[in-house]
Amino acid sequence: MSVIDQRIHQALDGELAAEVVPAELRHAVAQLAAAAELLAAPPPGPAASLESRVMAEIRRPAPSRARRVMRWLVTPHAIILRVRPAWSVVFAAVVATLTLFTAGDQGPELGEHEGIAQFVGRFPEAQSVHVVGTFNDWRPGSIALEDQDHDGVWRATVVLPAGTYEYMFVVDGERWVPDHLAERLVADDFGRENSIVIVRPARR
Amino acid sequence: MDVRGAPPDAEVVALVLAGDTEAFGIVIRRYEAGLLRFATRMLGSRDAAADAVAESFVRAYRHLASCREPARLRTWLYRIVTNRCKSHLVRRSVADVPLDDAPPVADPADTEADLERADQLLLVERALAELSPDKREAFVLKHVEGLSYEEMATVTGERIPTLKMRVHRAREALLKVLEDHA
Repeated sequence: MSVIDQRIHQALDGELAAEVVPAELRHAVAQLAAAAELLAAPPPGPAASLESRVMAEIRRPAPSRARRVMRWLVTPHAIILRVRPAWSVVFAAVVATLTLFTAGDQGPELGEHEGIAQFVGRFPEAQSVHVVGTFNDWRPGSIALEDQDHDGVWRATVVLPAGTYEYMFVVDGERWVPDHLAERLVADDFGRENSIVIVRPARR
Repeated sequence: MDVRGAPPDAEVVALVLAGDTEAFGIVIRRYEAGLLRFATRMLGSRDAAADAVAESFVRAYRHLASCREPARLRTWLYRIVTNRCKSHLVRRSVADVPLDDAPPVADPADTEADLERADQLLLVERALAELSPDKREAFVLKHVEGLSYEEMATVTGERIPTLKMRVHRAREALLKVLEDHA
C-alpha cells in the first residue's frame, strides 16, 4: 500500500507537470529530487580511472602452453563416465562387489564432497552436443554428450564437486541452448538463460 | 582523453571485435564514471565498486561478441555491473554495507552550505543503504543514472510494473527518513 500521494510519484516519473502538482506536495517532490541530485554528484577527491587497470588485464597475453598444462594438472576436473551396454553388467557387478566386500566405509569412486550430474538433451538433428558451464569455465568441447542408440537423446554423466552450477548445451559446436528440463533457469549477464543443476554429495 | 568526438558505440564495438583492442579504452572512458557511481551507490564502498566495475569491463570485453545490440552498449554494461554488484552483495550481509571506505573529512575551507550538504548526503546514503538491494537498485537506476523504465527492464530483467513498484517503495522510505530529520 502506498504511503505517499500518488501524484508525487507521477511528478517524479514525469507523468504530471510540475505546475500541476498541488502546492502541499511540491516540498516532497523537491526533497526526493534533491536527494537524487546529491547521490548523482561525483564524490569529492580525484577520481582514479580504471582504464589502465582494465586495459592491462585485457592486453595480458594468454598463458603459455606449458603453463596451461600445469594449471590443468593441478585443477580439479570433471570425469565423464561412459559405459557401453555390453560392459554395463560387468561394470555393475564389479561395483557391487567392491561396495559389498571392501572393508569399512571406504567409498568406491566419489569423494566426500562429490556427486553425480546427469545431462540429458534431445537433439535429433545434432552431430555433436557438449555441455558447458560454471564447472568447466564455459569451455566448449571439454564435456561431450553421447547418443549411443541414435535416438536423438544425448547423455553424459559427470562427477562434480557438490554445488550449484549454471550450464548450457552447445549443439554442433555453435548453437548454445539452455536445458529447459533443468531444475531451474536463470538469466545471465548477457540476456540469455542458463540452466541450473544442483549436485548433491553422494556420501553424507 | 575526451571521448565526445569519438565514434558511436556500435562503431567502437565493431572496431574492438575486428581486433583493435585499444578501442575498448573508448568504452571505458565513456562509461566508467556512471558505472562507478552506480556501483558505489549499490555497494556503499568506492573500493568494492571499483573492483566490480573493473571486473565488469573485463567481462564485457571478453564477451563483446555476445552484445546483441551494440548501439545499446550502455544498457548492456549496466546489466553486467548490476549482476556483479548482486554477486558482491550476496557474498556479504546487506547490514554490513559500509557507507564508504573513508568518510569525508571536513575541510577548513568548507562553507556552512558545504557542511550542510555533506550532512544531507550522509543522511541520504544511510537511508539508501537501509533499502533492500532490489529497491536500492531501482531507485539508483531511475533517479541517479536517469534510465527509463524500459531501459531498467533490460538491465534488470524485471517487468516494468515490478520496477515501478520498487521505485515507489524506495521513494516512500527515503522521504520518511528525510522528513524525520527535517
